[in-house]
Amino acid sequence: MTSQNYAELCTLLVEDSFGELFGRIFATLERYDRLNLPRLKFYSRLTDRQLHHGLAAMIQQNLVFHYTSYDDGVTYYEANQHAAYYLTRSGKILEFIEGRLGQYAATLMSAIMYLGHASVSHLETLPELRPEQPHRNGINGEHKYKHEHEHEQDEANGEHEDQPNGIDSEHALSEQPYLLHPTLKTLAAHGYILRAREAHFQSYTDTVLDAERVVTSRPDIKSMKGKRLEETVIEKTLEIVKEKTDGDLSHGLKYNGVPRGAKQGRGAAQSNDPIKTEQADVDEDDEEDEDENEWSDNELGNDTVPMESSLIVRVNYEKLDVALRHCRFIGLAEQDSSAVTAEVYESLLRRIEYQTPRCRDTVEIPREGEEGEQYSVPIPLSAIAEDVDQQLDLSGSIGPMDISQPFSRRGKRPLEDGVNGTSNEGTNGLSSGSSRTYELDQHLCLLAQPPHNLTSKRIVGGLITWTVEYRYVARILRHLELEKMIEARYGDVALRVVRVLHAKGKLDEKRLQEISLLPFKDLRQVLASMQTGGYVDLQEVPRDAQRQPSRTIFLWFYDPDRVASGVLEDVYKAMSRCLQRLKFERSRLREFLEKTERSDVKGNEEQYLSEGELKMLEQWKAKEALLFGEVSRLDNMVAVFRDY
Amino acid sequence: MSRFGAKKGRKLPGAEFSWETDAGGEPDTAPTPLYPKYNVSRAMLLTPREQLQVDYYRDLRDRYHEGPYYSVLDAASSSAKKGSAARVNFDPFHGMPSYSGKYQKKKRTLPKLQGRPYIMRFFPRELWQTIQPSFKPENSMDGYVPQIARTGAKRGFEDDEVEEEDQMKRRKAEDDEEEEGGGGDGEDILDPDEEQEEEIVDDNFEDDDDDMGGDYNAEQYFDGGDDEYGDDGFGDGGGGGEEDTF
Repeated sequence: MTSQNYAELCTLLVEDSFGELFGRIFATLERYDRLNLPRLKFYSRLTDRQLHHGLAAMIQQNLVFHYTSYDDGVTYYEANQHAAYYLTRSGKILEFIEGRLGQYAATLMSAIMYLGHASVSHLETLPELRPEQPHRNGINGEHKYKHEHEHEQDEANGEHEDQPNGIDSEHALSEQPYLLHPTLKTLAAHGYILRAREAHFQSYTDTVLDAERVVTSRPDIKSMKGKRLEETVIEKTLEIVKEKTDGDLSHGLKYNGVPRGAKQGRGAAQSNDPIKTEQADVDEDDEEDEDENEWSDNELGNDTVPMESSLIVRVNYEKLDVALRHCRFIGLAEQDSSAVTAEVYESLLRRIEYQTPRCRDTVEIPREGEEGEQYSVPIPLSAIAEDVDQQLDLSGSIGPMDISQPFSRRGKRPLEDGVNGTSNEGTNGLSSGSSRTYELDQHLCLLAQPPHNLTSKRIVGGLITWTVEYRYVARILRHLELEKMIEARYGDVALRVVRVLHAKGKLDEKRLQEISLLPFKDLRQVLASMQTGGYVDLQEVPRDAQRQPSRTIFLWFYDPDRVASGVLEDVYKAMSRCLQRLKFERSRLREFLEKTERSDVKGNEEQYLSEGELKMLEQWKAKEALLFGEVSRLDNMVAVFRDY
Repeated sequence: MSRFGAKKGRKLPGAEFSWETDAGGEPDTAPTPLYPKYNVSRAMLLTPREQLQVDYYRDLRDRYHEGPYYSVLDAASSSAKKGSAARVNFDPFHGMPSYSGKYQKKKRTLPKLQGRPYIMRFFPRELWQTIQPSFKPENSMDGYVPQIARTGAKRGFEDDEVEEEDQMKRRKAEDDEEEEGGGGDGEDILDPDEEQEEEIVDDNFEDDDDDMGGDYNAEQYFDGGDDEYGDDGFGDGGGGGEEDTF
């Protein structure tokens, strides 16, 4: 699985974030795979102290797996490329968390990432997680506004009023766990964080081998033989592995399958959705407030119990991948349907997300055509109806003027027209409720149309439920990505050829020309250049034993799997190059950048730097942002090709 | 192509199979331009959302950089030991210490482990002592050591500069002692006191006195070079028999 380019990229990422010492250790471990300490010392040419400290810190960040073997008691170290790669996705994850759960949750998540893994008691002591902090910093106005707002809320809630509230510090103390624990619980309920287990610090293979050893040494297993033995061993091993690595915290934090702290906030967020770009900060405020309200409501129940302070949490990247994949699906839905439809889809996907722990059960992406069908959890229509914001105008976007309206619903049009908007809903709740559900169903039907088939309908026990066929949509995403690339590189003619080849399978030149309706000259040029690039290839089928060219059939074909794996390597390489470029650009401006990072200059640049220097700093920041942005775009492609 | 001795008016051998040409047409044998026009594709500007993502990433990265774990291999400065690699790479134009150097960001050569709680059972035994210098391997051989609550744990490293200076001096002394002692089992059980300190290479002028005073230092004349061999694990016997096997 690990390739040269990937290894290089991971090393660069580690080095970029944590410095050369980490980079050296990581690169050595990647090159030589598992090493014990003396060997590692020999290969890396570092001192004992450097190695000890470096390894300890890297284990804290989960960048290195370690495993102490039972036989000789020697500890082996291994690079954790997965964790290293996810360094690059952290920005995306934090942005997502902010959009979903608000600013404070993002800060909390960032703190957990920064610490690697952390106990709740340690998180409690962090200064930046106290809500007071943005006040002092005063980074931007919105923060200040928001937190003032929260203060008002707190005081209005009444719980704090009976306390002697005059002294500010005391107020902060009472408030700090008030925000931290609910947010932690919300994150846990969504599954974005999980309990760190010892098995998380050793590689998956080691965990499996350990479990296997335990299983085979059991007396009842020893008595088994042959095939039955194998099957039981595999089964029991998986059981043990699951038990060991399972750090799910969401148990008991969900109400009817919806995580706490999610529901009300969402309604508020969605009502503002169409104008979100304008009012991002206001929207956030609303969400926070709603969340707070809900939390304070829940204070009466069992939710006053804070998270145990001995609990150790870490980020659950698997689950976050699911969430990010859904964001991608929504993007796809937005492309060719209305904003309302996309919102309905979002509600469906959210419901599904709560019950989906990871993107795939298999480690590798299955080959094209062998992947079968993997349906998500079916979500009943009534649940979606509950979730979708009541103010959302469902009928407006599927009126008769809508060109995206599917053919089959022509007859229903007058009926929908009659249900005109909110006035009807207000008057008789019953009929409008059912028609709302019906409209929702229509929206979802729209999404179920080809070519994307973003949803599919199921009737389970008389109830209408909706699911998503993951493998199909993931494949579509993959193909779109490849087609985008081919078009950019070889033009639209090439795209047509590739599509024909993909639809029809292997074709010889003449047939291909007939189908694609292209002149021979164009076709050949395009095919030749694509073959050089490795996108299409040629198969020879000799008609006789001599294999003469004149008596051989040449068939063109396009294999998306092959192309995708090649492209993936290219993408890794491109990401590495971006990071290397960044390093080089940095070294060019080193003197200047070191000046801006001086402890007296940092923070008050306006005071110390000249106008030209300020401009230069701005340019540098833009350049850096562009390069990181490029890496993050490439990461989107990696996600499509590897993770979804 | 010319190796086939192409004659005028005759097609080159194999030219009819070229993909570029028409099936029956004349081949285009003109040389390709030396510097063809090249379209450099430019990256699109970041969308606001991407900008936000990048900002988050940068914030986190900056925090890592400011944090206790960011460490470089060689902080080239004039205070580096003589003859060491760091000294060779010293930049004579910009590396000389200057007054503003005291504001310069200090670079670590070792990650700082102190100052935050660790969960010992997640770490292999051989690193326990590194993480918690108070840990004695002989005390609790089974189970994991309950985490010792640290009161008044410091975050950030700027505020304990004064201690560091003392520690640097003390460490230097200790290093010398250790070298003389021969380093009995330097492999896994390290001197707890030694582990307690951190190494920060900065351009403190007070510290530099020993090394910078002149080229000649009678006290360190003989044992100056020993440190390196001990550290690099090449020549010394303290490293244990493991290395001798290759």
